[in-house]
Amino acid sequence: MGENKKSFEETMKKLEEASAKLKSDNIPLEEAIRCYEEGVAYYKECIEILDKAEQKIQTLTK
Amino acid sequence: MALKPVRVSQLNSYIKRLLQTDPILGNVSVIGEISNLKFHSSGHVYFSLKDESSKVNCFLPADTFAGLTCRLEEGIEVTASGYIYLYERGGTYSINIRTIEISGQGELAAKFLKLKQKLEAEGIFDKAHKKPIPSFPYKVAVVTSETGAAVRDIIKTIKRKNNFTDIIVYPVLVQGHGAAGEISSAIDDLNRNYHDIDVIITGRGGGSIEELWAFNEEEVARSIYNSRIPVISAVGHETDFTIADFAADLRAETPTAAAERAVPDTGALRDNLNNMHNEITEALRLQMDKKKQRLEMLNPDMFSRDIRSRAVMDRIKLDNLFQSMGDRLSSYVSNYRNRIAVMKEILDTCNPENVLQKGYSVLTDSNGNIVKSTAQLTAKQAVTIRMAQGRAEAVIKSIMEDS
Repeated sequence: MGENKKSFEETMKKLEEASAKLKSDNIPLEEAIRCYEEGVAYYKECIEILDKAEQKIQTLTK
Repeated sequence: MALKPVRVSQLNSYIKRLLQTDPILGNVSVIGEISNLKFHSSGHVYFSLKDESSKVNCFLPADTFAGLTCRLEEGIEVTASGYIYLYERGGTYSINIRTIEISGQGELAAKFLKLKQKLEAEGIFDKAHKKPIPSFPYKVAVVTSETGAAVRDIIKTIKRKNNFTDIIVYPVLVQGHGAAGEISSAIDDLNRNYHDIDVIITGRGGGSIEELWAFNEEEVARSIYNSRIPVISAVGHETDFTIADFAADLRAETPTAAAERAVPDTGALRDNLNNMHNEITEALRLQMDKKKQRLEMLNPDMFSRDIRSRAVMDRIKLDNLFQSMGDRLSSYVSNYRNRIAVMKEILDTCNPENVLQKGYSVLTDSNGNIVKSTAQLTAKQAVTIRMAQGRAEAVIKSIMEDS
């Protein structure tokens, strides 16, 4: 999991950025659509991370 | 020789006097274990001090209790200092406490303060050094006793909030000899050999100051300070402050609170994500609507309709202009016509022909000059007479002067 360790936090942040951009006033249409598609992809990534959750509880032996 | 019988109150009064005049009983320190601890609503505290074979009642006045820095608990060993006081009505006596100290605490408190000052001076507690606690940890390590209440509370709390974050329990002694060393090396070991830990919780449930003492040891503070992984401390209850708390990146009041702070609520995260999804969908729809509106304003049909209506308007304007120009011109023309007619009339009245018509004649010399005076004439000069109808040649017979 080391590789995508930061990915949830980062993806969430990117989703928030896409959302903010999408709400800005003078965004060109192509960019709006691109932001939306990116946003949806980020959303799916986050949900997927949560869906794959398989909480493990482990006690180390002394 | 026996005295004659006395009344109960007289006896108690007598004993009271004896007790209160005794120099030793007027200022005595007693070591014992607290039992029967009662906090009265008046603020006074009542308890017994006991040892293996005996006990004595104690009274701790409200104002003395309010000034205490330690916490009184059932079963702890204390040194109580005060004077013996007899309650005459009940015939019982108690220690009326002036000062009370948890055994060994004076020494511990001094040690605590000294270490705190030392580490503080070194910057071990510096805010700038504190690492942020990740908002979405994948794996939490819990350094505590595997049989304590703390580990149970932490696992229970994490599982209630979150079905994602892995928990790894690193069992250590949390009290007694060797506990500080185990806690310290556990933190070091996690930093050195586990590369997927996002946050460490270390702590234990409530206990006496001696039981919490491992978390006041220098090596634990240093391991926490040196930890690359953020550390949340969770020692005892919310009133307990340890050196580990000061060194930690975050101090939680209790193990449960530490677990709360360590992991996000996955249900809330899901809700939040779904809200975001709705939000961006709505935002896109809004943007599309806005663009559509702008596009409609640029529609060619609308555009040509607009141009056509403008052309009609211009046409009307042009017609009006043309009309007014024509009007202007014809009024000029009729104006000139009038002036010409007037002039013609004037000319007509001045036409010499008209004079001739009345019977006048015009005399001209051979050069065509009109003769207005006899001075222009000589006798026998040929002249021309012009009349209304025709002309005649004549010769001047003679010239007469006007008389």
